[in-house]
Amino acid sequence: MFAKQVMDTRFHFLRPDQSVVEAIKILEIAGKKEGKKIFGMMVIDHDDRLVGMLSMFDILLYIQPKHIGILGEMEDISPEPLFESLLNRVKKIRVEDLMSTNLVFVKPDTHVLVVMDIMIKKHVRRLPVIRNGKVIGILYRSDLFNFLMGKLIEDGKG
Amino acid sequence: MAKDNVIAVFKNRSVLSGMTAKEAMQKHLLRLPCEADIKNCIRHLIKFKTNAALIINRDRRPEGVVSKTDIIGAYYAGLPADTPLCDIMAGPPCVCTARDSLETAVEHMQAHGIHQIYVRPDAEKDIEGLVTYADIVGLIYRYCRTCIRSGRYAKQIAGSKIPPLIVRDVMTHHIVSCTGAQPIANIIENLSTQKLGALLVADNTRIPLGTISKTDLILAYTRGIGIDGSAAEIMNSPIVACTAETRLSRAVQQMFLADVQRIFVAEGPGSPVTGILALSDATRFRSGTCRACAAGRISEPPGN
Repeated sequence: MFAKQVMDTRFHFLRPDQSVVEAIKILEIAGKKEGKKIFGMMVIDHDDRLVGMLSMFDILLYIQPKHIGILGEMEDISPEPLFESLLNRVKKIRVEDLMSTNLVFVKPDTHVLVVMDIMIKKHVRRLPVIRNGKVIGILYRSDLFNFLMGKLIEDGKG
Repeated sequence: MAKDNVIAVFKNRSVLSGMTAKEAMQKHLLRLPCEADIKNCIRHLIKFKTNAALIINRDRRPEGVVSKTDIIGAYYAGLPADTPLCDIMAGPPCVCTARDSLETAVEHMQAHGIHQIYVRPDAEKDIEGLVTYADIVGLIYRYCRTCIRSGRYAKQIAGSKIPPLIVRDVMTHHIVSCTGAQPIANIIENLSTQKLGALLVADNTRIPLGTISKTDLILAYTRGIGIDGSAAEIMNSPIVACTAETRLSRAVQQMFLADVQRIFVAEGPGSPVTGILALSDATRFRSGTCRACAAGRISEPPGN
């Protein structure tokens, strides 16, 4: 049981020089196309090399005011004028400015138990699968779960 | 004769009296290795919305600091963005201990012209935190917002002889601006010689077009925009502004919510800018006495 058996070879991705606004649209379109929420994507350069990962969390972290905790419950602050200012700040920012570059990935022949171990210890939902420096697929935690549990249920029936 | 023998002892009290660096400090520090390059540093500064990175050596000990100012210096000098940070860092970092008073920390920051000071538990231990002007103003804001004394004054504001502080009381009137056509090199020179954090971009009648902050400059650097590019190419608009009659507490809130370190003062959209209020101004304001505690008036009690 290896990564190549579980990975999805159809994947959406972002380019580092795309704006975050474009990235948000791509995340939304991809989610609709796949019929499931897409929380993040790989960032691949024009040589098909993995250079980063961008998630919704990275974008939310940037949008959120850094010192928001100071303001307490903010029951006396009107949110509407604030949103325009916050969202305006994102317009100049690119994928490469916010993406995580501390990447973990696996190879096609990595054992699924090693994949599971990485996902648990590193708290990641998705792992790129790389061959010869290029991205060939992506492994989602949910797909790994379904694959392993499928085996369990199958064995149970036997 | 009797008068000559009297020694008056005054205890200076201020907004920050009794507060320590530990109470204000943030624990999330950006640490980067010496060999990381400028482009990588810019990415981290943007992503984590911080002004400086602590540069560590292979033993993970702090060697120096790279701030946006240092990066802008590299930009101006034409250094490539893959230059290692150790080539541009300033060192060693300015440090205080957790037990030091905030007054001491602020005085240190002002004396060195810096906007952040690192904090260590004591002289022997490793750096564990950072204090910026935003942290200090935030601490005052939180303190005063929950202070009973502040609440009492709030109830008496209507008709009170002690009016709440407004932006006009604290702002700086001197504005440095540039036109949209001015080259980035001039912008950098102005920021450096006048020790500013941002410049207003305005037309000939001081109608604001946008602002250029150090963040905009480091973004321009990482995008490969040369210093012969124009201000209009890199400015941010619209500006974050308030009126001169805005309560200081509201202006502080606005700065925190917009994640900016300064707010321009104008009477309305499309009006000329008449002043500027920085977070560092809000820390410099000190009441001098506890009874007045004008800092108590920095807070906005819930419901106002």
